[in-house]
Amino acid sequence: MALRELSSLEKSLGLKKPNKYSTQGDKKVPVLQSNNGPSLTGLVTIATHLVREANRPELLGSTAEQRAVVQQWLEYRVTKLDNCPKEEIKTILQDLNQYLEDKVYMAGDTFTLADTLMYYGIHRIMVDLAVQEKEKHANVSRWFDHVQHYPGVRHHLPLLVVLRNRLYTSGHH
Amino acid sequence: MHFEVLSRNTSTPCSDVARARSPIRQSCAQPFFLSLDLKMAAGTLYTYPENWRAFKAQIAAQYSGAHLKVASTPPAFTFGQTNRTPAFLSNFPLGKVPAFQGDDGFCLFESNAIAHYLSNDALRGSTPQASAQVLQWVSFADSEIIPPASAWVFPTLGIMQYNKQATEQAKEEVKRVLAVLNQHLNTRTFLVGERVSLADITVVCSLLWLYKQVLEPAFREPYPNVTRWFVTCINQPQFKAVLGEVKLCDKMAQFDARKFAEMQPKKDAPPKKEKGSKEGGKQQEKKEKKEKKEDKKASAPAPEEEMDECEAALAAEPKTKDPFAHLPKSTFVLDEFKRKYSNEDTLTVALPHFWEHFDREGFSIWYGEYRFPDELTMTFMSCNLITGMFQRLDKLRKNAFASVILFGSNNDSSISGIWVFRGQDLAFTLCEDWQIDYESYNWRKLDVDSEECKTMVKEYFAWEGEFKHVGKPFNQGKIFK
Repeated sequence: MALRELSSLEKSLGLKKPNKYSTQGDKKVPVLQSNNGPSLTGLVTIATHLVREANRPELLGSTAEQRAVVQQWLEYRVTKLDNCPKEEIKTILQDLNQYLEDKVYMAGDTFTLADTLMYYGIHRIMVDLAVQEKEKHANVSRWFDHVQHYPGVRHHLPLLVVLRNRLYTSGHH
Repeated sequence: MHFEVLSRNTSTPCSDVARARSPIRQSCAQPFFLSLDLKMAAGTLYTYPENWRAFKAQIAAQYSGAHLKVASTPPAFTFGQTNRTPAFLSNFPLGKVPAFQGDDGFCLFESNAIAHYLSNDALRGSTPQASAQVLQWVSFADSEIIPPASAWVFPTLGIMQYNKQATEQAKEEVKRVLAVLNQHLNTRTFLVGERVSLADITVVCSLLWLYKQVLEPAFREPYPNVTRWFVTCINQPQFKAVLGEVKLCDKMAQFDARKFAEMQPKKDAPPKKEKGSKEGGKQQEKKEKKEKKEDKKASAPAPEEEMDECEAALAAEPKTKDPFAHLPKSTFVLDEFKRKYSNEDTLTVALPHFWEHFDREGFSIWYGEYRFPDELTMTFMSCNLITGMFQRLDKLRKNAFASVILFGSNNDSSISGIWVFRGQDLAFTLCEDWQIDYESYNWRKLDVDSEECKTMVKEYFAWEGEFKHVGKPFNQGKIFK
């Protein structure tokens, strides 16, 4: 999973030469083999490295504050979102929905790596959501739809349909 | 370079979205886009400064990469003069701004048309549906937002008389408009499609004054989606390059009776506020304005024309009172220097720029030293003395720049500064509002060519150096700009 994600990220960054990856341990932690220098381990480490390699520093945040928030969500992605038990999904969606109420992007006012990796990470959850659930978490759905339409991001993942108009107008208000 | 076509509408042959992001890189990859780039609009936009209608075109150009020069200040364009010349009127019969003239001679008036022309396909909407939706929101802005927004905001700026009923009605209409937008943006990031379009640019610019003047937090609270979208838009680099930092309103501005009275002819002013007339010239100018107003009324203007008149007054306000009007035009653009000074390194960029462009005929450099250093006690009080003076000189900012420094420490300090003024005389005598502080200073005009002047300008602008003539260490500096 993580490997396809990194390969999508490489493409969206416009990196021409695909890197070689392997995985490590039961959790299949990705490892980037490098010709010169040590190999890199872990999704966030490698993704951050790819962004630097592509010379797109703005994707890691343009201000000190934005950079910190990007890091926060990258960390959240690996520690909270990945492998989260089923019963926690509800809380995660609620938290994110609240967080995204007044935001278009995960960090700051521009698209960053945090949007890409959070999108890759939450895709498996969104796939399983009923229409009603997507409506209930309107801010997450809106953000998700925006990111999956962001140029070059989606790649290996199927496009999900997010409705514009409410079907279930009663309740949840 | 890899770009994947990602469009909701699968019938779209290419991704408008990708093109919006990177027109240049795309054009390198595909010859088709290269031909588009070659046709890219280029030209000059005539406007008065800070015109929200002009912003629409300027932001569109930021996105499309169209080469747009803005002529908003003398000598390129003087609002009220240039746009009344026969040459201008032959190209733009209404004599209104913004007006656009292409490098190829192509002329356009009406801000929406100009913004449309300067856009790329992504901004205009690249499917028939999307471009129609863009047009829908552009029309919505003009017919639904601007009338109530003007009715509410103009009195708070002092450019229109306050009418309680009209303001209250306008507030209700603004609420209705915001509710419509809020509903639409509930499930959407931008107004049309998944990228910024001319719809967002136009509606944001139309809401700009509302958000800056009157939409206080409590008022905008029921419309979180609108505020989220608005804040995101104004923080996009392309918007920021034109709008700068936009500060959202903290507290709803109310009708400013004094400002309004100041801008009206004397006989319209409330009797209480009337001051003895002091300047004949000023009064005459106001009389002219009054006559113009009456002409307008006589011809029973459409509401929209009336609003333009108000906006014109807004733009013309500083000019009608300009005490420097008698001076010939100068080649030294003070604002340009101030931008360099604020944004770039003083020693390596701002100072060389200053000496390269400084116009010794149009400007003079002065050294001002506080006459009563013995009376200076606590440094923070001395600083207030400086900033207070700056505040009282507010209207001089357009025509002056100064760096004033406090030297020394508590009970052992002095204040001195370097001032750059329009003209060859001390500017303070030109306006009675400016005469409060200047007598507390000794003024000496510096010889622009002298070493002393070069050194002082350098040290005072950079806030570092020996300051030989002072004899006390630098404490803190204040900039008047």
